[in-house]
Amino acid sequence: MVTRRFTGGVVVFGVIVAVIAAGLGAGLLALLTSVFGEGDECGSPAGAAAGAGNATATGAGNPTATGIVLAAPGAGQLVGATEYGGPGDASSGVIGSSGANLLEQPDSYAELGGDTFQTATAMGGLPYLTPLRITWGTRSAVAYKRDIGLGGGPIDGLPRVLDLWWELAGRLGIPYEDGLWSGPVRIERPPETGAGNLLDQTAEPAPALIAPSTAEQDPATCAPAAVEGVPLASGDRAQLLPNGLAAAPTDAPPAVREIIAAGNQIVGKPYLYGGGHGLPLSDIAPAYDCSSSVEHLLYGAGLLPVDYDAPSGALESFGQAGPGRWVTLYASADHVFMYVAGLRWDTHNAGGAGDGSTGIGWHPLIRSDAGFVARHPVGL
Amino acid sequence: MSGRRAAAALLCAVACVGCGHSARRPPSPVARADATHEYPSKPAPPETATSAAPTAVGAIRAFVTAYVNWNARTVSVDLRTLAAQSVGQARAAMTLAAAETADDYELRRGGIANSGAVEAVAPLPGERNQYVVVTRESTTATNTTAYQGLRPAWHVALAAVQRVPGGRWVLSDWQPES
Repeated sequence: MVTRRFTGGVVVFGVIVAVIAAGLGAGLLALLTSVFGEGDECGSPAGAAAGAGNATATGAGNPTATGIVLAAPGAGQLVGATEYGGPGDASSGVIGSSGANLLEQPDSYAELGGDTFQTATAMGGLPYLTPLRITWGTRSAVAYKRDIGLGGGPIDGLPRVLDLWWELAGRLGIPYEDGLWSGPVRIERPPETGAGNLLDQTAEPAPALIAPSTAEQDPATCAPAAVEGVPLASGDRAQLLPNGLAAAPTDAPPAVREIIAAGNQIVGKPYLYGGGHGLPLSDIAPAYDCSSSVEHLLYGAGLLPVDYDAPSGALESFGQAGPGRWVTLYASADHVFMYVAGLRWDTHNAGGAGDGSTGIGWHPLIRSDAGFVARHPVGL
Repeated sequence: MSGRRAAAALLCAVACVGCGHSARRPPSPVARADATHEYPSKPAPPETATSAAPTAVGAIRAFVTAYVNWNARTVSVDLRTLAAQSVGQARAAMTLAAAETADDYELRRGGIANSGAVEAVAPLPGERNQYVVVTRESTTATNTTAYQGLRPAWHVALAAVQRVPGGRWVLSDWQPES
């Protein structure tokens, strides 16, 4: 293996930065937590406090301790990422561990977790050239695995699982910080391609995909941390993040966090009248309309059966009448939207200027509810 | 048979039933199916492909080129044509796929299309008339961004061919592996 960015010098530098930044005691504590915290399933942000470029090794080869299980195609998830290479990070070299010249193949990423192909398994040990759609903010690009790397502690409470070649990071709009940038990105496995797969005729239609665990964490012991890829925010209100995803409130019941997690799965999907209908709610559809998107969120918390499929008017009789403590649907024969922990889920920016993205997703402003029937899930 | 002989035969038949000889009759198809859980049917008529190629590799290339180049509007008709041009398992698989794609909401809604070319056809070692086929394919969509930015990818399939009267070749088995 020719490449490696996380040389011993960088390790030492990262440790020093961590210690200085967080104070001697806190820094040492953070370092010890990230080094020895293999049993830490809470995604403690302590490692993130050590800063970008920190090269602390974690349980390499054990994706359940330090990595993620990739979700099915189309289902995005938030993960921690770093950037490497470029003029300010000459130590990383330009040849990936796959043998590819990364300058000639700039749409490259490295899977982290170890210093060999067998141990760099933060995403389950993907084969080389596995494509992933990577999104930062509003920009996304498809990149291919051509490298591996050691990795480090969590980033913003998210498992640090991939390293973006600096030119790829640049295409995503990530500022170049001499290979030291780190932050959350959204990754998504693209759908299968090729006639045999599209026509469902391959001997093995798709790799065995394991859905991420839905096991809950105890906010009292883990907060603030990621719950299965869902960012958390302290308090009782959801927060809109710069990348368009929502952070779930730590004080909210599990069902509210599950609704937000389901919403984050489909944020930014195109609006299409009739989109998402006719499919099981467990599927991630290529596009949604108002009712199918709201139903996807409610299914995420187990509030609708997987085969529920109805237009917005049917939701006028959902649950109980009136606003809820955590969740309120506003339904009419023409449209439906909802508030989840104070954050609006809608299919367009009906709140006007400053109401976030124009498409399906979380919107920060309150909109008029005239003409709508307010309903809420029982107990929420 | 004269009327007298027919009457005699009828009397004999009635007499036999009365004697309990009916048990010696061959069981009806339904009774046989009840016992064996199989309902025998006539053998399928011999399949005739609507076109054939002068060489085995030529038959494979022609089939695969059509198989990987289609869009959501044409795919069902294209697959029906392929079914008519092949025999055996390949014909059955194409017929089934044609039926399944005729009403495929996802394909149509996404405006999905596939295109590609045959990169290599090589005989499978030790297997007569069987080949490994490598294609390079690209999937696109007009109404979804799901395939945006994906590079063309290589795919592998196994194919078998049969010689038909006249010495020409048709595809008889088609099994995409990836």
